[in-house]
Amino acid sequence: MSEEQQTPQENASEPVISTPQPQNSGFNYGIQQSLPNATAVLILGILSIVTCCCYGVIGLILSIVALVLSKKDRALYAANMSFYTESSFKNLNAGRVCSIIGLILNILYILIIVGFIAIFGWAALNDKEEMMRIMESYR
Amino acid sequence: MKFINEHLLACPIKQHFRIDCPGCGFQRSVLALFEGDLVRSFTLYPATVPLMVLLLFTMVHLKIDFKHGTFFIKILYIGISLIIIINYIYKIFTHQLS
Repeated sequence: MSEEQQTPQENASEPVISTPQPQNSGFNYGIQQSLPNATAVLILGILSIVTCCCYGVIGLILSIVALVLSKKDRALYAANMSFYTESSFKNLNAGRVCSIIGLILNILYILIIVGFIAIFGWAALNDKEEMMRIMESYR
Repeated sequence: MKFINEHLLACPIKQHFRIDCPGCGFQRSVLALFEGDLVRSFTLYPATVPLMVLLLFTMVHLKIDFKHGTFFIKILYIGISLIIIINYIYKIFTHQLS
């Protein structure tokens, strides 16, 4: 009994009879943990769509970071499924989907800007009067 | 409120090219939402209300952990991205860009 108390949550398969460890008391008696980056991936994935008002670059960076983190965590979960909670894995997957969509949106955004430059030309875009004339001609 | 209205972050693309980008109107729309003007917020940027709902729902979900919460987050996210794309195409065809 005293030996079991000295070895903490490493023996996840064995039922823990003693009182739960103080640092893990919130998580199923220390048997399962949540994935380390699940929340971060979810939040980054959502923020990648919110920050679409700055050239699309910030959102691009955020979504790529989220994708890299989610890849790491998926590998962790695949290596040791019973050690992590399923809800955090679901969060991770949702964050991954969000960051993929955010990545596509941000790439589309950059393509639109490149398209503008291709259609109107850089000089016309920098010239206010020229631009007004072009916009008038489209009306 | 007046201070924020006068000191909005200017969209670099709009400043430079005088053409709206897909994210233009978002800040004005958020401010309109804070003032309680839902209709004006919607006409400025239709994706603001769903985005706010998404952010709030994610916060609550991360705290309480709903059973099908991630499914709703995914659906909302896809819906928002579709709204943004459709809104921008609509703006192009109705000449509201400048």
